[in-house]
Amino acid sequence: NSTEANSLLLRQQFVGKVQFALFDTHSQASKKLLVATEKNIFASLNSRTGDLFWRHVDKTGPDGHINTLMMHGQDAVVVVGNGRLLRSWETTVGGLNWETVLDTGSFQSAAYIGVQDVVRYVAVLKKSAISLHYLSSGHQKWVENLPESDTVQYQTVYSGGNGQVFVLGVVPNSHIVIVEYNIEDGEIMKQKSVAAPWLSSLQSSCVMVGSGVLLCADPTTKSLYTFPLQSADQTTMTPILLESLGVEVAAGFQPVLISTQPHPARPPLSEFFLQLGPDYHILLQLKDGLVSTLRDFNPSYLVAFATTGEKTVAAVMSPKNETVSILFILSNSDPFHLHTYSVIRANGSNASVINLYSADTGRRLLDTTIIYSMDPNGGKPAKLYIHTFLKKDDSVGYRVLVQTEDLVLTFLQQPGRVVWSREEALADVVTMEMVDLPLTGTQAELEGEFGKKADGLLPMVLKRLSSQFILLQAWMSHLWKLFYDARKPRSHVKNEVTFETLSRDEFNLQKMMVMVTASGKLFGIDSKSGTVLWKQYLENIQPNSVFKLMVQRTTAHFPHPPQCTLLVKDKDTGLGSLYVFNPIFGKKSHISVPALPRPILQSLLLPLMDQDYSKVLLLIDDQYKVTAFPSTKNVLQQLQEMASSIFFYLVDSSQGRLSGFRLRKDLSTELIWEVVIPTEVQKIVGVKGKRANEHVHSQGRVMGDRSVLYKYLNPNLLAVVTESTDSHQERSFVGIFLIDGVTGRIVHEAVQRKARRPVHFVHSENWVVYVYWNTKSRRNEFSVLELFEGMELYNSTVFSSLDRPRPPQVLQQSYIFPSPISTLEATLTEKGITSRHLLVGLPSGAIVSLPKMFLDPRRPEVASDQSREENLIPYSPEMPIRTEWFINYNQTVSRVRGIYTAPSGLESTCLVVAYGLDIYQTRVYPSKQFDVLKDDYDYVLISSVLLGLFFATMISKRLAEVKLLNRAWR
Amino acid sequence: MSSPGGQGGALSTRGAAGPRRMKWALELSLGNTRGRGDRQSKDGDVMYPVGYSDKPVPDTSVQETDRNLVEKRCWDIALGPLKQIPMNLFIMYMSGNTISIFPIMMVCMMAWRPIQALMSISATFKLLESSSQQWLQGFVYLIGNLLGSALAVYKCQSMGLLPTHSSDWLAFIEPPQRLEIMGGGMML
Repeated sequence: NSTEANSLLLRQQFVGKVQFALFDTHSQASKKLLVATEKNIFASLNSRTGDLFWRHVDKTGPDGHINTLMMHGQDAVVVVGNGRLLRSWETTVGGLNWETVLDTGSFQSAAYIGVQDVVRYVAVLKKSAISLHYLSSGHQKWVENLPESDTVQYQTVYSGGNGQVFVLGVVPNSHIVIVEYNIEDGEIMKQKSVAAPWLSSLQSSCVMVGSGVLLCADPTTKSLYTFPLQSADQTTMTPILLESLGVEVAAGFQPVLISTQPHPARPPLSEFFLQLGPDYHILLQLKDGLVSTLRDFNPSYLVAFATTGEKTVAAVMSPKNETVSILFILSNSDPFHLHTYSVIRANGSNASVINLYSADTGRRLLDTTIIYSMDPNGGKPAKLYIHTFLKKDDSVGYRVLVQTEDLVLTFLQQPGRVVWSREEALADVVTMEMVDLPLTGTQAELEGEFGKKADGLLPMVLKRLSSQFILLQAWMSHLWKLFYDARKPRSHVKNEVTFETLSRDEFNLQKMMVMVTASGKLFGIDSKSGTVLWKQYLENIQPNSVFKLMVQRTTAHFPHPPQCTLLVKDKDTGLGSLYVFNPIFGKKSHISVPALPRPILQSLLLPLMDQDYSKVLLLIDDQYKVTAFPSTKNVLQQLQEMASSIFFYLVDSSQGRLSGFRLRKDLSTELIWEVVIPTEVQKIVGVKGKRANEHVHSQGRVMGDRSVLYKYLNPNLLAVVTESTDSHQERSFVGIFLIDGVTGRIVHEAVQRKARRPVHFVHSENWVVYVYWNTKSRRNEFSVLELFEGMELYNSTVFSSLDRPRPPQVLQQSYIFPSPISTLEATLTEKGITSRHLLVGLPSGAIVSLPKMFLDPRRPEVASDQSREENLIPYSPEMPIRTEWFINYNQTVSRVRGIYTAPSGLESTCLVVAYGLDIYQTRVYPSKQFDVLKDDYDYVLISSVLLGLFFATMISKRLAEVKLLNRAWR
Repeated sequence: MSSPGGQGGALSTRGAAGPRRMKWALELSLGNTRGRGDRQSKDGDVMYPVGYSDKPVPDTSVQETDRNLVEKRCWDIALGPLKQIPMNLFIMYMSGNTISIFPIMMVCMMAWRPIQALMSISATFKLLESSSQQWLQGFVYLIGNLLGSALAVYKCQSMGLLPTHSSDWLAFIEPPQRLEIMGGGMML
């Protein structure tokens, strides 16, 4: 039924790391928050709930990059794709007002141009041209080439609202160029240059302050420079030494200037912030060419300006211990040590406070404190956005949006209540695993009883009785809870998931999803409700790190806790580090992790276990030496015994080399094979082995004549996909190699001519499915390779790659697929009895569950009796997409990057998680729910019929006895 | 074959000998002429009735027919299963090879009847005891039943109910144990 179906579907939508955020201040009641993110997304959030009003997902890569976001009234202007497109959006429903294609040239900046308090135009500055567009229609008013654009780097466009357009450029370490344009026809009115030999970039060190004053900061001389743009005679900048303001400047000073222009048709305010250090800001004012200090904020993390009506305020986030120490001064009567204690605690709790200050005086506004307590497992705050509004008594009220380093968006209101928060790190999931939930406490108690050693008869009986009593108690409380919940209205019963209620369900359908995101934040998400149960931010993760997540110990080994290991490799240094944690509770494990002094090339999780049931992880460094983790004596002994049968392979895509190694007893390795695919011709796109937890139930396929065609199930087989370096459509090709990973023997190779990337492939059981772009016919094609051993098995008891005298039979067939695809994965079930489906993620956001039956190279061209007996569908080149194959209905998953499949406790059911920009979780039933009674199964009827029959039998038996007895007496 | 009157007479004789007294009794003793064994046991000082001849009536021709009849009857029993076979063949042909409830019922009956007959073969042999060609008949009977069951098996086979193909044993093949452990991947 539909409610059941809805509860199984779970989609969460994200936007990614926020680059620009603007609150709609057009009307007081507005709850819109516009965000433009690094994921090329322009979206509107509900500032009351944090939900998405609408979201526009642009192209990935630089083509869809949002360069700037400006808002005026109801409309937002966005420049996209390095100045390629200028768009205006209506913000209430997210409709496009207009779109203009701009001339080529790299984008520098854009600004609203106002005339007499009305914003009419938007100016876009490119590297060598400036263009002015009407705000109402997007039509171009004029476009002008910039003078000497090959030597001058034009970076800023400015208008004070009085009918002029200034374009500022810089010749690095020489001078500043200021060009003034006529707003009507784009004629150059004035052009002058100002010497500035210390300046290299306007954007990083200059702002416009007050009525057209250019203000620059110079770190070497530790001074500020001012220059009024309109001045007719001045040709040099006026220096102001920072020391003259009474400001102590430390060495390595990197100044950042922050100014504000509340209305685009009016000049900016004359107050501005100067950031002197990472935690040090001062509020300054420029008046009549003189700079004066309004207030000194030391320490302060973040500052921001905000305007409502005519009032502009400055918000400052500072650590909380300062206020605590103020408290200490205020209340002197208490014993001293208690206060020092409280100060230390405030430091430890990482709380900070945000206060509002009047921008023009620097005075603190009363009752404007927001306490922001940082997540101990999270990152530091990185960006601060202020939403101000006027209260009824004309004072300024405000709410704050804080973005932290771990991409949490938190919206707070006074006095520190979190209105909502969003985990935007989940927009970039890199890898994930699903871990079984633990048994409940009572189940664990019983397990523990059988696990322990026997210590006498009586204690055992007592223990059994006590555990039975605990079970009874749990059952009673469960009954009571059921009864209690039943009395409440249905909507009030919340299925809140906490660690206490977290336990494995009957069919193991609810699991813990452990997700690793690119920002280095780990999440533990309950798969049933989608709630984030734990999160952990790993600091100092480089942006281009590689992650590999492994489950070393599952929940099956009570009382040992489950254990996951994350290998993080820094791409630049090549050094790896291990992070070991409990996947259920997210706690970092205290197990000592081996030091990895050398760059790590690969890791290998062995099926061997140490005495604590944790699987052995081998880490291969750049000298092909192996480090084992855990490396107890027991493990090392096992490794020595097994060494000759442990192999691993490495693929170096840049050199086109595949190499195989064998482990030696001293944990060094020897090279046993090498395959070189010349990089001049083709390059390796991907390598896939088989999944370790994959089970194949049937060893062969039954033919129409009821003989068996045995599958070639080589667990060591690798599928290597290559692509030609020549991308000409006639000569490009896609190659596929099936290589035995132990011996290096090329089992099969196939070349798909006139084919090109993107190539996606899946390798499972005895088949490989790959998708490519056919350049000749200009369409996407599926191709399937299946390997068979033949009509008899070579060796049915053991499989050794070293003893395979006969090559397998390979069958191949190709099909046309009517859509491009973005990712490909195969379903996985507990025992592998259920038929397989392919899960295809489409760029449209749909996920198609495609039966593998359609991708079968044994599909005959002409149907015969035998093929009908075998249920083979006659071959047709077109692969249909049936609407009932879409497993996510209308819940599209944007930019699917990967699909993760996991078996559940039910053989018919496979758990599916699609991740990308969104996260979508569901279940699929490739062979329908053959092991589950249907929803409409009539228990009452069946059981009443059974009971009725039972009683009828009893009664008639008795009657028959009586009758027999009577007859005997007659 | 004895008349009810005669039997009644016989009863009343015995009754006269017992404690119940009768006014008069007439014994025709007709029944005794029939039962050879009776006559032999009761031979002796029994008064012969009217029209009785001491010489045995030459009824050998009747006995000959009886023996033939028994023989015939025995052959009928022995050939019964064989006679069934054409009928079974016809049913087999009519029911076809599809697996559905009626053909399955037919096959079950076809298989069950010979098996039942084979199980009660000792009883049948007792029936055949009186025949002179007892062993031959028993053998024919056995062959007939075996043929019947063979036919049922053949039918099962043609319906695909017998596990005679390798595919029928596919589910019992265990996945082979792997001797090597392998892993790795692209250089991280």
